[in-house]
Amino acid sequence: MLKYTLRRVLGMIPMLFLVSVVVFFLAKAMPGDSLSGEIDPTNTNPEYIAEMREKLGYNDPVYVQYYRWVTDFMSGDFGKSTRYKMPVADLIGEKLPNTIFLALTSLLITYVLAFAMGMYSGRKPYTLGDNLIAGFNYAGIAIPSFVAGVFAVYFFAFKLNWFPFAGSVDIEIDKGTIEYWMSRIHHVMLPAFVLGMFSTASYTQFLRNDLIENSRKDFVRTALAKGTPMGKIYNVHILRNSIIPLVTFLGFDIAALVGGAIITEKIFTYPGIGLLFLDSVNNRDYPTVMAITMMLSAMVLIGNLIADILYGIVDPRIRLG
Amino acid sequence: MTTNAATGAVKRTEKSSSPWAIARRKFLRNKLAMASTVFLILVIILTLLAPFLAPHLSPIPDITKVNISKMSIPPNGDHLLGTDKSGRDVMTRLLYGGRISLLVGASATLIVVVLGTIVGSVAGFFGGAVDSLLMRFTDFVLNFPFLVFVIVLNTILFGIVDGLWVLILVIGLLSWGGVARIVRSKVLAEKENEYVLAAISIGTPPAKVIIKHLLPNVLSTIIVQATLLFASLIVAETGLSYLGFGVPQETPSWGNMLAFANEPDVLQGKPWIWMPPALIITATILSINFIGEGLKDALNPKSQR
Repeated sequence: MLKYTLRRVLGMIPMLFLVSVVVFFLAKAMPGDSLSGEIDPTNTNPEYIAEMREKLGYNDPVYVQYYRWVTDFMSGDFGKSTRYKMPVADLIGEKLPNTIFLALTSLLITYVLAFAMGMYSGRKPYTLGDNLIAGFNYAGIAIPSFVAGVFAVYFFAFKLNWFPFAGSVDIEIDKGTIEYWMSRIHHVMLPAFVLGMFSTASYTQFLRNDLIENSRKDFVRTALAKGTPMGKIYNVHILRNSIIPLVTFLGFDIAALVGGAIITEKIFTYPGIGLLFLDSVNNRDYPTVMAITMMLSAMVLIGNLIADILYGIVDPRIRLG
Repeated sequence: MTTNAATGAVKRTEKSSSPWAIARRKFLRNKLAMASTVFLILVIILTLLAPFLAPHLSPIPDITKVNISKMSIPPNGDHLLGTDKSGRDVMTRLLYGGRISLLVGASATLIVVVLGTIVGSVAGFFGGAVDSLLMRFTDFVLNFPFLVFVIVLNTILFGIVDGLWVLILVIGLLSWGGVARIVRSKVLAEKENEYVLAAISIGTPPAKVIIKHLLPNVLSTIIVQATLLFASLIVAETGLSYLGFGVPQETPSWGNMLAFANEPDVLQGKPWIWMPPALIITATILSINFIGEGLKDALNPKSQR
C-alpha cells in the first residue's frame, strides 16, 4: 500500500509541473504584469514600465522567470493584487475559510441525504418512495446547477423568506458568538444544498443499485438461511460492502466542488474563492486570477490523488495495476 | 453491418433484422425518448425559423435595439412573454438565443467527438508507447478545472478572435478527454477480434483498419456519448454566459438571458425575464438526456425492452 501511495504521489508531480507551466504561460499571455502585480497599471509612462520590468526580471530568460515564479509560489508568495494593493495570499486567506465552510457543509449534506435516500430506495426498490427518489435524482443530475440555484433563490429566499439570498453572515452580529455561527450556518445551507445536489443524486443512485445488487449475493442468502433478521443483514452485511465504493468518491468531490463553487458562490453572492476569482477577472486583477487558477488546478490534482489512494485502500487489485 | 448479424445465426425461415433496425424499433417504442425527440425537433425548428416568426410574435422584432419606452413590461397580448430590462421582446430573444445556444453546443460536440475519437482510437489501436503518451496527455487535459480555464482562456483570447468561436473552440478543446478514454477502451476490446487480425495480416493500412473495421463497431458508443455531451456542452455554454464569460453579451443566448437573474430586482420581481430561458434550458437538457438514455438502451443488444 505504501509503495502504491508513493507511486501515485510521484506520478502527480510531472502533472503538477505541466499544469504549472501552462498556468505560467497563460499568465504571461495575459495583458499587463499578471505574475507579481508590482507594476502599477494606471501608470503608462514607458520609462517607468521599462524600469519596473527590468527590476522585476521580466527581461530574464523565460525559464529563469518560471523558476522564480514557482519557488515564490511554493513559499506562499502569490504576488500582489493590483486591485486591493495587498498580497494575493492574504486576499485568498481571507476568503478561503468561507469556501471551505461551504464545501464541508455541502459534503455533509450530500452524504447524509444520499445515505438516507439510498438506504431507503435500496431496501424498498420499485415502490412509490423509490420512484419519487429516482425522480429527484434524475432532476438533480439533469438540471444544471445554476438553473437550480436561481430557482432556489427565487423560491426559498424571496418567496418563502426561509433563507437569506446573499452573503455569508449577517453584518451586525459580533464574531465568535453562537448567533454568529447560527447566522453563518443559515447563510450556507441553501448554497451548500445546491452545490451538493448533483453528487447527492448520483450517490443515492449508486448506493441504491449497489444495495439491490448485493442483496442478491450468496452471503445474503446464507445469512437469511441461518435466521439473521433482514434488518440486520441490510445494516451489517450489505451496507458494509456498499458503503466502501461511496467513500472513494470523496476525491472526485473535491475536484467537482472547485468548479461548482464558482457558480454557486456567484448565484448566492457568497464571498468565497469562486466569487473572488470572478470579481478579479472582471476587474482585470490578473495576479489574483492566476494565483487562484494555480491553486484550484492543484486542488483538482490532489482530489484525484485522494480518489486514487482511496481506491487502492478499498480494492487491493488496483494497487498492482 | 447488415450481414454481420445474419452470418452467425442458424438458418431461419425469415431474414433477421440488422442491429440498427432492432435499435430503431426499440427506440421508437420508448415513449419518453420519442416524446423528447419530438420536443427537441420542435425547439430546433422554432429557433431556425426565428427570423420568419419574429415579425409575427412581437411589434418590435429587433433583438438588439434598446427601447427605453418599453422596458420591463410584464407578459401581455403584444409581448407574449413580456420585455426585458432593455425593452426587447423576451419571446423573440428566446428563439434567437436558442440558435446560439444550440449552435455552440452542437459545434463544440462535433469538435469533442472528432478529437476524442481520433485520440482514443489511435491510442487503443497502436497501444504501447503511443498509447501511454496519448493517455498521459488525456489525463493532463482532464486534470484542468474546466470552468476556471475556460474563463482564463476567454479573457486572453477576447478581442483577438470573434467571441462566439473562441467559446466553441475553448469548450471543445478542453472537453474531449472523456470521449477519448471511452473510445480507447472500446477499441482495445474490439481489436482483439480475429477479423482485425485478419485485416492486418493481409496488409490493410492502420488508418483503414481503424476507420473501416473498428470505428463502425464503436459507433453506437460514440453516438450515445455525443448525445449526452451535447446536453452537457449546452450546459457549459449557458453556465458560462450566465457568469458573464460565455457568448458576447450583445448576442442573445439562453445563458445571456438567464444572466439577468444576477440582478436581485429582476430575480425577485420580474420573473418573466429570467424564467423562460431557465425553463427552456432545463427542458432541452432533460429531453436530450432522455434521448441519450433511450439510445443507450436501444443500442445495447443485451437490454430487454
